[in-house]
Formats: sequence, C-alpha cells, structure tokens
Amino acid sequence: MQTRDLFWQMSPIAVQVFYGIGIAAMATFLAAAVHHANRYRRGTAADRPVDWAAGVRRMVSDLLAHRTLDRRDRYAGIGHRLIFFGFVTLLAGTLIITLDYDVMRPLTGVSFWHGWFYLAFSLVVDVAGVVLIAGIVMMMARRALFALPKLDYQRAYRGETDIRPQARRWQVEDWAFLSLLLAIAVSGFVQEATRLLIDRPPLDDLSPVGAMLARLMEAAGVDSDAAVAIRKANWWLHAVLALAFVGTVAITKGKHTIAAIASLAMRDTRNVARLPAPREGAPVGVSRLEEMSWRDLLHFDACTKCGRCHEACPARVSGYPLSPRDLILDLRLYAESGLPGTAGRELLDVVTPEALWACRACGACAEICPVGIEHPVKIVKMRRALVEWGEMDPILRGVLETIANVGNSFGEPARKRGSWTRELPFQVKDARREPVEALWFVGDFASFDPRSQGVSRTVARIFAKAGLDFGLLYDGERNAGNDIRRVGEEGLYETLSGHNAGQLQQARFDWVVTTDPHSFNTIRNEYPEFGARVAIRHYSAVLADMLESGRLKVKRPLGKRVTLHDPCHLGRFNGEYEAPRRVLRAIGCEIVEMPRCRDNSFCCGAGGGRIWVPDPPGTEKPAHSRMHEAAALGGIDVFVTCCPKDLTMFEDARKTSGHEADFVVADLAELVAEAIELKAIAPGQIPALIDRITEAVADRVIARLVPELSRALAANAASLPAPAVAPVAAIAARETAASPAVPVEAPPLAPAGIAPAISAPPAATGADVEMMPIAPLDATEWCIAPRRPAVIAGYAAPAKTGCRILVGVKHVAKLGDEFGFRADGRDVRPDDLEYQLNEWDETAIEAAMQIVEARGAGEVVAVCIGPAEAEGSIRKALAKGAARAVRLWQDGLSVSDPMTNAALLAAVAEAEGADLVLTGVQASDVANGATTAATAAMLGWAHAAVVVGLAWDGGPRLDIERELEGGLRHAATLPVPAVLSIQAGANTPRYATMRMIKDAKKKALVVVEDIALGDGAAGAVVASMALPPVGQATMIEGTPAEMAAAVAQLIRDKRG
Amino acid sequence: MAGILVVAEHLRGRLAPVTGELIGTAVALKEQLGGPVRVAVIDAAPEALADDLAFAGVDEILLIGAPTPEFDAVAAAHATVEIATAVEARLILIGHTVSGMGFGPAVAARLGGGFASDVITVEAVSGGIRAQRAGYANKVLSWMQFGNAPLVTLMLRAGGAKPPAASDDVVSRRAVTVDFAPVASLLSEHQGYIDPPPADVDITKAEVIMSIGRGIQDEQNIERFRALADRLGATLGCSRPIADAGWLPKAHQVGLSGKTASNCKLYLALGISGAVQHLHGMKHVETIIAVNTDRNAPIFNAATHGVCADVFAFADALETNFN
Repeated sequence: MQTRDLFWQMSPIAVQVFYGIGIAAMATFLAAAVHHANRYRRGTAADRPVDWAAGVRRMVSDLLAHRTLDRRDRYAGIGHRLIFFGFVTLLAGTLIITLDYDVMRPLTGVSFWHGWFYLAFSLVVDVAGVVLIAGIVMMMARRALFALPKLDYQRAYRGETDIRPQARRWQVEDWAFLSLLLAIAVSGFVQEATRLLIDRPPLDDLSPVGAMLARLMEAAGVDSDAAVAIRKANWWLHAVLALAFVGTVAITKGKHTIAAIASLAMRDTRNVARLPAPREGAPVGVSRLEEMSWRDLLHFDACTKCGRCHEACPARVSGYPLSPRDLILDLRLYAESGLPGTAGRELLDVVTPEALWACRACGACAEICPVGIEHPVKIVKMRRALVEWGEMDPILRGVLETIANVGNSFGEPARKRGSWTRELPFQVKDARREPVEALWFVGDFASFDPRSQGVSRTVARIFAKAGLDFGLLYDGERNAGNDIRRVGEEGLYETLSGHNAGQLQQARFDWVVTTDPHSFNTIRNEYPEFGARVAIRHYSAVLADMLESGRLKVKRPLGKRVTLHDPCHLGRFNGEYEAPRRVLRAIGCEIVEMPRCRDNSFCCGAGGGRIWVPDPPGTEKPAHSRMHEAAALGGIDVFVTCCPKDLTMFEDARKTSGHEADFVVADLAELVAEAIELKAIAPGQIPALIDRITEAVADRVIARLVPELSRALAANAASLPAPAVAPVAAIAARETAASPAVPVEAPPLAPAGIAPAISAPPAATGADVEMMPIAPLDATEWCIAPRRPAVIAGYAAPAKTGCRILVGVKHVAKLGDEFGFRADGRDVRPDDLEYQLNEWDETAIEAAMQIVEARGAGEVVAVCIGPAEAEGSIRKALAKGAARAVRLWQDGLSVSDPMTNAALLAAVAEAEGADLVLTGVQASDVANGATTAATAAMLGWAHAAVVVGLAWDGGPRLDIERELEGGLRHAATLPVPAVLSIQAGANTPRYATMRMIKDAKKKALVVVEDIALGDGAAGAVVASMALPPVGQATMIEGTPAEMAAAVAQLIRDKRG
Repeated sequence: MAGILVVAEHLRGRLAPVTGELIGTAVALKEQLGGPVRVAVIDAAPEALADDLAFAGVDEILLIGAPTPEFDAVAAAHATVEIATAVEARLILIGHTVSGMGFGPAVAARLGGGFASDVITVEAVSGGIRAQRAGYANKVLSWMQFGNAPLVTLMLRAGGAKPPAASDDVVSRRAVTVDFAPVASLLSEHQGYIDPPPADVDITKAEVIMSIGRGIQDEQNIERFRALADRLGATLGCSRPIADAGWLPKAHQVGLSGKTASNCKLYLALGISGAVQHLHGMKHVETIIAVNTDRNAPIFNAATHGVCADVFAFADALETNFN
C-alpha cells in the first residue's frame, strides 16, 4: 500500500526536536489567541445580541463565494480566493496527516493515509499548492506593480507626505506575510520533488507538479546525493517556516484569518441603518477603550487594511481628515499598545474630533468592508462623547438647540410645518383627526425649505391625481431624528423619536409614506425600538407602483437622458435601488448610470448632521465631486434626486461647481409631473382654490393693514371725536383679524391688583371702540415713588455655605414669520409664540459657573419669572450647571416689564443673601436691557451693564470689562455685592444634552407664588401693537449713472 | 410742568452722538409738553463739554461734578435722580446705549413713574406722551403708555432723531452740586480703556454693510468690490456661496450660518438673490438697497429700495459718484 515516510532518515532525537518546536509554536498561537480573547472580554457586552446561527451560515456562504472580496476589486478577489482555497486545502491536508499519524496510529494502530486515499490526497494537495502560489504571485504583483493608492498607507487627506513609521512596519509585514506563505509552499514542492527523485514511487504519488519539478531538478543536474542533502535540509526549512507561521499567525497580519472570520460570523448588516442605543447605566458617549463593546474590539483586529473603505469614503475623497480604515487601524494600535492618553478621553486622542466630525454617516465604508466592520457605529459612539462635552461646531450646536426648542432645524414654529399645503388647490387631511390610507411623514426639508416645499406640493398633487387618500400630522410632526442620532445627540433623538412615535400611534392610517430617505430610515429601522412599528414606503416605490399599475398614466414620455443619484439612506441603508429607476423607465427616461451608483453611490455630503456644519472654505465638497462625475457622463439632461437634502446640496453644488449649463437638478416627482402632464390646476378645482387664496391673502392683508389703520387712527385720535372704524370692526368679526383698536381685555403689563399706578383702561364692550387714553403728564402732582423689592414672605433660602451667585434666566418668546394679533391688539396671539431659554442668559450662567469653578466653591442659583411652562428653560439652566432654581409666578404677572422683573429678582437676591446677581444683557423677545440696573437700584448695590470680562476671587471687589459701542472696552473694579448684565459672546456656554436636561429634573426647583408687588411696580403698558412697515422695494429707475446717484444720495443721507 | 431733562452721554472727553439726538427729541416735544429743556452733564470736568451742548432749543445746561474720572453707573444714576428731583422733571431722556443701560433703569427704579427703554419714537399727545418700541426681534412695534404717572423716564435708541442746529444765543449754564456720599461705597474704580484690535470685519457691529453675492461671478472681482466698499465707508459682507468658495473669509458672511447684521442701518446687497438663509441675517435692517439683474429676486421683497441693473455697471457708476 502506497504511502510516504514522514520522518525519512531522521533520528528519534531529531523527531523529538521537531515535536518540541511544533508544540512550542502551537502554544505560542494559543497564548496569543487567549490574550486577544481576554482583551475582547474587557469590552462591554455587544450592543445587540448576536445571532450566531444565521451569522455563521452567512459567513460560510460569503467565504465560499468570496462575495465580499470580489466587490469593486475583482483582481484582489481572485487572488485572495486562490490563496484562501489553496491555503485551506493545504491546512486540511496537514491536519489529515496529523490525525492519521499522531492520533489514529498511536491510539488504534490503524492508518488510513495510504493506498488510493493517499494518492488522491497527494493529487489534491499538489494542485492546492499551485493554486496558493498563483494567488500569492498575483497579490505580490498587485503590491509591486499596480501602485494602488488604497494600499500606500499615506495620509494625504491629512496633508501628510511621509508615511508614518508604523505604516512602514505594515509594509514590511505585508511583504513578509506573502513571502512566508510563498516560501512554505515552494519549500513544500521542493521537498516533494526530492522525495520523488529518491524514492521514485509508483505513479509519482499522483503529484504532477512535484514530479515535474523533480524532472527539472534532475535535468539541472541534481544527482541522488544532492537530492538526499536537499531533502534533509529542506525538510527542516519547510517545517520551521510552517511552524513559524503557526506561531506568529495570531500576532501578525495573519490575525485577520481568525478575526475576520469571527467578524463575519457576527455581522449585523443593519447596524449602521439601525444604530445601537447607549447601554443603560453606562456613559452615553464612548471615550475609553473599555467602553467599546467586545464586537468593536474584535472589529479593530479584523481589518485587513484592504483600503476599500478608504477609497469609498466621501470625506476622505474630499480631503477631510478622515479615513475609515486609518481610524480603525489607529484604534487597533491603541488597543494593542495600551498607550497612555488623556484620562477619560483616551480614544479622542487617538481619533481626533476633527476626524469624527468629518464623517457623513453615509455607510459607504461599512457597506464595502469585506470583513463586516461597522465604522460609523464606532464614530457615532465617540461623537456622543463629544456632544456630551459640547465639543462641536457652534453652528451645529445652535441647530441642536433649535431642534430641541421648536422640533425642526429651520427654527420655524411647529405650526408652520403644514404651511406648504396652503398653496395647494385642495385641503390635505389631518391624519390625527380623520383616518387616511397613507400618512405622509414630511420631514424638515420637505416641510420648510422653499425649493423642497415646491417638490412636496408636486408630490401631493400627484398623489391626489392618483386618488391616494393621504394626510399629514401637521404640527404633530417633528424632525424624525435620523441625523440627530448620527450627530450623537442621543437624548434629543429619544425625545424626537418618542414624540413622533406617540403621534404615529394616535393617527389612523394603513401605511406611512415619505419623500425623505432620512426619515424613512429611522422610522423603518429605529422607531420599532421606540414603540412605533409602522409600514413605511418611500415615495419612489409608491410612484413606481402607481405608474406601472396605470393608476398614473404617462401622457408624454420624456425621452430625456438622466442620471440618478442613489440616496445613501434609501439605497445602502435600505436596499432600495430599483424603485426610482422603475419610475424613470416608466416615464420614458434613458438612465445613464454614474460610475459610482447603487451601493457605491457617493454621498452628497449632507449626512450625519454635516448639512448643519459649514464646510471649510477651499475644500471641494463631496457634492462638487458628484457634479463633476455626472457632467463627465456627457449629454445628461437631468440629474435626478429623490431626497430633499440631495436636492438642496446638488442644486447648490451645480451652481458653484461650474456645471450650471451642463444639466439641471430635479426631483423624481417633478419629472413624473411632467410626464403625466399634471396640470397646474384642474379646472374643477379653480373655485375652491380661489377661495383658499382669497382667504390667505385676506388674512395677510388684515394682519398688515389693520394695525396700520389703527395706528393712523390713533395718531389722529385727539381730533377724531368718534373714530370711524366701521371697516375695522367688520374685519374684527373675522376669526383671524386683529384689531388693536378694540380693548377688550386688561393690558398684559398691569393686571388688576398688582400694578395699580398705571391703571388699565375701563373694559370696553366690543362696539365701544376706544383708544387707551393718554393722560397729560401734569395731570398728577409731581412726586417720586421709589420702587422696592417685592415681598416674597413665604420664601426661605437654604443656608449659605460658599459664595452664591444668582442668575436671572428668562423663558423668552420667539415669534415666527407668520403671526396675528390678539383681539385687544396689545400682543400677538399666544399660539404664535414658541419659547426657549434666553441666549444672553446662557452666557450669564456660564460666567457664573466659571467663577464658581475657578474658586472651587459656591453655588449658582437660577431665578426665573414665569409660569409652569418656563420649567423647560429652567431645566436647561440647571443642566448647564446651576445647582438649584427658584421660579416666581402669580396669575397675571407680566414677564415683559423690566421694573416688575427687577422687583422680583431683587426680592430673591435679598432672601438668598446673594454675592452677585448676573443676568443677560437683554431678553431676546422684548429687549428692554433694563432689569439689571433696576434690580441693583432697588437693592442699593453696585451695578454695571454689558459686561464681557468678569473676574472675582471672592474678595471685596471684582474686576469687570464693559464692551462699549465700536468694541472699545472699559475696565473697572466694582464693590461686591453687585448686579451685572453679561453680553452674549462673552463666553461659550456649555452645551446641555437632552439627557442632561432630563437629569436636571433631580435638582431642586422651588416655586414662589406668594408675591406682593409694591404700588407702581410696572413702568409701562402696551397700548397697541402693530407690524413694522415692510413690503416691496421702491424701485429706482434710470440709467446706471442715475440709479447710482440716487443710491449714493441714500447712502449719504443714512450715514449723515 | 417742569420740563424735560436730557442726560448727556460722553466718552473720553467727547460727546456721544446720541446726546444730540436726545436733545433733538426733547426740543421737538417741548412745544407740546412745555419746557424748559435742560441738559445735564455728569463728569469730573463737565464745563469742557458744555460748549458742544449749545443746541437750539436747549434752555439750560446743568454741570454736575462727578466723583469718578470716567463713567460710573451708580454715580450717573444718583446724579440724574437728584437733578430730576431738584427740577421736578416730567420727562427724562437717556440714550439706550451701553452706558445708558448701565444707569437709566436705575433712575426709573429710584424715581418711580413711567419707564420704557430702547424707544424708537416718542410722541406727545394732549400733554401726555407715548413711546414706540420694537418687540419679538423687531417683528412688531408697540406703543407704550404710562397711565397717569407724574414723570416718565425714556431710553432712546440711537439713530432715531436728528440733533437741532447750534443755538444762536448763549445757553445758560448752571453748576449743580450733588452729594455723592450716600453712594460713595458703591462706586467703581476706573482701570482703563482697551481699544479694539484693528480692523478685522465685524458684521454684527457694522452700521453700513455692502454685501456681495454670486452675482459678482468670479473671485478676481472681489478686490474691485472691496475697493468700492472702502470708498463707501461700508463693511464688506457676503452671502454663503462667496464664503464657502473661500473668496472671502467666513467672518464676512451674513446670514443663518454666518453673522447677523445686528447694528446695521444701511445694507447694500449687490448681486445677492436673497435666499432665506441670507435674509435671516439682514432683513431687519432699516434701509436695504438691493441691486440685482433679476427683477423677481426675493431680495427685492426684503429691500426698501431696489435697483434692477447689471451689478458691474452699477458698481462702476456708484464708484464714480463717490470719487
């Protein structure tokens, strides 16, 4: 029976030496493997349970097909496939021999490694060796000759021209790894050839390659003596190389053979589309290695440095300081080395904040990664830490605060969310009031961006034409939160998703539709974890079905050459590549694909919150790169988008990248409207539309005209015995009308019983239209009536332990662009106002915090005058560092009169025995800028306004700098106690995440309602309120010289 | 009726422009409310400023020796209260400026009576007054009234009135001694002035802004428009695409992602179409002159004056006009 001698002519000692080396190699491997496993175990639990059964099945199928390795680099796929299958076969061969020789024979005395099995084995292993060598040669050629940028490790995107020392070591390692494999394979063939030369077994052991090599050696003059010498020496060479490979595989590049397989077995392809929530009880953000999960730690080791993500990343391509590969490799190096970093933020020393903020969360990296690394998940986890510390672009921060305040990124009042429907010829249903088939979740851009609003109206009219029964949530909808979550503001995301989920649960509908892929993604993939499981469809799929089923009829096939941009959140995140293409085909467009399409679609640059972060000047934006790509196709008519953010980004980019003349950017729905010849307005709808427009115009005219009219009347009030106000009265009957001339309520500033010095006018009946009388100044005898702090008898402040700084904080009202006046004309309608913490007061809190923190002692107390609704702003003040808060309120109290505010603030300052009272310079709503000095006067304390510099060491005087007009600063010292108003911009207030704001509920908030204000507390009452004159510009006509002369005159007049 | 008291504002030995405006308002109201119009100067050496206060219509200049060498809020408030009490002023006018905000509200707190700050317009109506101020980020205008208060303290927004002509007659002056002992322990100690760093643009502070948009077409045209802005004495602003393209530093950008022209009185928009984001930063400005080739550009809805013309031709003509 044919077989071969494993230890040919070897002494027992030599055999024992071999076994010794072998056992040492395997022990080294095992030790390294255990070391890695222990490292991973130091990570936290996996973010989501791993489905091993399905994972292993898919891993095996992916490996057998080499699916992930073939993508976008077929050559590397083939090369790797040859190495992989060659290597695995040879490894299996080695294991079979071990099984036969070291297990079966010693235990049972039986051997199976002989005869026909041996010959078949020999043939298979022979072929596998050739396959392995072929693969290695391919990969060596690729490294040596192809000059692939993705393999050069140079960080050109960070402006580096040299390769880092670590990368040099990687290059050596890359070559060493391939060379070692090659040497093992070649020495194996040499061993076989010399054996065949010496033993000359029948059939050459069915080893054609070995036999061929043997004949070559023979022809080259290797005689039997030489063959014996080579056979003996080469045996040791081959054995030591192979065992060296075993011994080092877990600590070199070879590590990926295990880590990558493990990574593929636990792959969760939805993780980027469905980000993990922070773990309960753990810090929200990840800034230390042990806060990463074991899966994250394993991912760091799984990276093979293949560079596919590096090549795909829109940030890297556009020269931003981020490469997903280098990010993972840097984290791996850190995880291996345990290098020291800044305590508590080690990972952010390794991966800079700039790199993290460069990410667009487009998922291109994770999508192409052949081993299943989820780069964006790690980036978002670390961003959460940055958000927690407020380390973000100030504009982004402002947007987060805006969204927290009003629920949309445009800073518009929630009620205006449905305003875009007003210009439609039909009323869109409110899905909260009546059941609909489809609930349209509109999203921020499609609701508020003027260009996207147009698209929204087009979509609405197409839906109506197709007879779809749809409705909106109107002001019930808020920003879906997709991008907020990817920014890393998890608390705010939870608030938004929780709110929207609640709204969805209250509405009655069959399915949800949206034009916004970002909203689509989070509602589809992430909302289920917040309790909202709804069927959601992207409008592209809805339109495709409508067109294919004939529900929408194409009247005019467009015949345009178009290219389609696949939105990241629709394609990569949710696998929908076909629907928009089905639509384009149905309307007769020729689709010309860009080189980067479908799963390789190139992000517009807006994702991950980057739409709210300005790109640094001079960088080429991702959207520009996309425009060049589309223009290079040649002869494109339309660049088609199906995402409101894409439309905005690409319309901008088309203009600024010099392709204005090459093609237009249009939304899918706009092309559909053209193809189905959607009439601007159906004739039958005209009467209804006229009604709606008349109504809307009437509202606006009334809002503008009535105050003007009443102002004109007021100006002439003295000369008008009986004001002719019939038209006003008539208009006032309308619900939306505002007639300032009709005082039906007591004025807001002087509620009965609180501020009697300035008495409210007698209540008038609706018909008895009368101006509030103006009393002559000398009607009352001249006297002074000093204002004093209010009496808050019931309030007892906690005992004082260190310095105590009071900060007055106001829950300020913000008015949208469209609003109306109250029936009495003395204020705007309460519903038109939205509230938030006054921006100036945030600066004052920060100034107070900096004093307390510098001294290491003392407390900051927030004082707010306002109703229970003001608690949102108070909590924000607490989240920003105030230790506790006092809120004062009484029915009918004014929040707009600085003298009243001062009396209340002074009362608390006395009760608290405060050392300092700080306020913002002014409240953004009424901008009196008067509370500070008035408070100080009532207290008899020193004071200063518009302070930009403040230092106090706890001594009897403090240093201030006031900022005067034109930027001149005035430095002075003031005695303590003092009252100061702090100017916005004097510092950067810390950011309070939504979680911090929620946690601030635990801090003490005392409500004072037993308030007695002195006589004449208020300084004034609002007699009437009106719109400032606005309107169409007065056009200046004439020749350029004449027009310039007129403008020059205007400039000179204005400059004085 | 015991007249109108104006508190003069001054800095480093020079009268602030708002003082003339306050006097202009006082003189205009005198006819209906009755005089006299008195102007109080509170300074360590008040006589030095008196000559500049001799506006037509001023009846008396009151010179008060201040206890501090430079402006002090407590001293200013105390002196104003004492003078107002002494002359039984019915209307007290103070500038709504940084220093005015420092002491004006304290005056109202100590005197009682009516008070309004940041007042744009004051009107006399049958012997009484009402004051107009803005609210809700300048989106509304409110008329404030003061019931039957015997005296009213108003802080007037700068730039709203014109100073009267210089007086032909000699305006009488009176030195008034105020006892500062009651507030001596509250006074500040002057440490010095710190001048602003030289001339980087500050859109938020600029009073005259000339902004350029995509209509200027090419980076090479920037210098030409910069020269025009210099010529007009305007701060050069821009819209987002210009800053994004790196043609001008970010500090020049007006709008949502840039700066708000908070103190701007005159805004000249050249080649700016008027995207919502841009309007956000400037639509509140009193006088906006827009120049654009597109008659339907949204900027014309926000502008007070519009010029439909080629931006370059217009710029050339304007520059000629200022040469």
